[in-house]
Amino acid sequence: MSLLLVTQILALLGLLFAVGAFALRWRAAQQRPFAPDRAPAKGSPRHGVLYAFTLGMAPWAKESTRRHMLAYLRGIGFHIGIFSGLTALLISPWWEVLPMPLRWLFAALTGLGALFGLIGEIMRRVEHHLRLLSTPDDHFSVLLVTVFLAATSAALLSDIWQPIMYLAGAVMFIYAPLGKIRHCIYFFFSRRFFGLLIGRRAVVHAEVTR
Amino acid sequence: MTTPVNTALEVLEKQLNRPLIAALEVCARCGICAETCHYYMAEPTTEHVPAARGEALRRVYRSEHDFLSRIFPRWTGAERLNEATLAKLAEMAFSQCTLCRRCTFNCPMGVDTPLMMRAVRAMATAAGVAPEVLVMLADAAIEKGKDPSFFREMFVEMMADVEKELQARVGDPEAHITVQRAGAKVLYVPLAGVHTILPPAIIFHAAKEDWTLSVFEAANYGLFLGDVSRAKQIAARIINEAKELGVQEVVLAECGHAYAALRWEAPNWFGETFPFRVVSLVEKIDQYIAEGRLQLDPSANPELITYHDSCNMARSGGVIEEPRRVLQAAVQNFVEMTPNRHEAYCCGGGGGLVALPEYTERRLKAGQPKAEQIRRTGAKIVVAACENCRLQIGELSGHYGLGVEVMALADVVVKAMRLPETQAEGEVLPLSQDVAVPTAGD
Repeated sequence: MSLLLVTQILALLGLLFAVGAFALRWRAAQQRPFAPDRAPAKGSPRHGVLYAFTLGMAPWAKESTRRHMLAYLRGIGFHIGIFSGLTALLISPWWEVLPMPLRWLFAALTGLGALFGLIGEIMRRVEHHLRLLSTPDDHFSVLLVTVFLAATSAALLSDIWQPIMYLAGAVMFIYAPLGKIRHCIYFFFSRRFFGLLIGRRAVVHAEVTR
Repeated sequence: MTTPVNTALEVLEKQLNRPLIAALEVCARCGICAETCHYYMAEPTTEHVPAARGEALRRVYRSEHDFLSRIFPRWTGAERLNEATLAKLAEMAFSQCTLCRRCTFNCPMGVDTPLMMRAVRAMATAAGVAPEVLVMLADAAIEKGKDPSFFREMFVEMMADVEKELQARVGDPEAHITVQRAGAKVLYVPLAGVHTILPPAIIFHAAKEDWTLSVFEAANYGLFLGDVSRAKQIAARIINEAKELGVQEVVLAECGHAYAALRWEAPNWFGETFPFRVVSLVEKIDQYIAEGRLQLDPSANPELITYHDSCNMARSGGVIEEPRRVLQAAVQNFVEMTPNRHEAYCCGGGGGLVALPEYTERRLKAGQPKAEQIRRTGAKIVVAACENCRLQIGELSGHYGLGVEVMALADVVVKAMRLPETQAEGEVLPLSQDVAVPTAGD
């Protein structure tokens, strides 16, 4: 059995573990109460959710992101890299038939994601408040994802990096539901709850329609 | 044996609904929320970063609910709750967060830090480490609500005097203030003090509203405690009163947390949609103006006036454009603070802080960004549709030498109605003069 095949199997097992563990977490969360809001709505909850996932995420939509525009864009770039890297990993058995420009695009986005991840980790160590707020889990999670992205980007350019990519992917998948990486799943719930609240209460309607 | 720590953990367990779990799990500790908090703006320390506040509860949550944290607590920063950490959590939730939700709006993840702080307040209240003043105020309101007959008698007597004032002010001997009149369309719920009764009475009279007065006050200290049981009992007084009188609408005095409690939270506490609408006086005045039921002369308010968005009314309540439309009709020179609306700074008096003398210094310091914001407008008058905000801004004015007058929206509207200044028999009470009225629950 080749090293490549072994790491591919490990990555697949890691992915299955992640999917299973996230499913269990999702089920546990669903068992928690979420009572319907009985206060008569002033605005549209749907409108609020739409805002929360679109305009509300724009860099100019929030004072915090206007103030920390570069840091926010770095974070966005990091997460675009993650989506790119995960997609590249999932379609890796078909890389051979992928047009080269598309492969380079994946490599560039994923590589930039790795760079942004590294910058993020440096910021976490350098900036006073971030350093105090961070746990070892935070540092490890960012570094783990960064290594995965770097390996994936390299593998897209040269096949010899593929075992490293699969191995990093396996470790990342196994760690994801256990550590800080799992926040990615809760993002969708959190933004939805936020959207429901501001939509029902018509807080952003004036902002959107002004 | 039940200890305060066990009690607090039991309450945390009960509070853990899906939104709270999302808030606890989703924070990436990016720290981008830091400057959005007025506490941090006034004093930029790590403990004033909203993420740090959330992290304080997360540490406890992880130690109870996270697999990895149970094995390697240091790895994830998990920490078992003990009496010392419970006391620290309580201190933080009651004195370093006004539940203003500004951080939530500025968080890319939408982390609801006030939701977490309310959970901590609930834990602290159940464990007996919440500020005594808030507990006493809430319990007094509940006690008095059990038998309001004694207060009702006194209240009706006092309202007879206020009614005379009303008649003098509007020049109409037929102007009346009725108390708990069955069949009225509108039940108005004031705060303690005639200043929250006379101006609305003048406005209701001018708009020819079919209204009556509640004997209870709109304030709900149970909300500040994060204690749904107490908050429900306090809200129930008004809800039952409204149901018994058969009113179509409950109009709340200009009070941010009262609006949040009765308009948005109470239907969920009781699990029912009430058979009456709940609106703020601000929304009601806006409606009267839109319907042409109030004739206002903006030249009666020629001074430069600015408006402070109460967090509970605006960011958490959606009452954003209504007060601006009212001011547009009632004042000549209006200037916005920057930022405003859902981006407005908290004044620092919310979350019950105004009622807690032990935190006065901290509260005034946290109000510094708002004070500077007011100063930059150059306004002489600050209008706020929340009693706690008005008290805080009044104190900020003195503390930071702003020299501004603080008014309720109803006061400005009444001034724009150009009523006679005096009556035949003597002086009319200035609208801003606070005369304590013993509402049941005061």
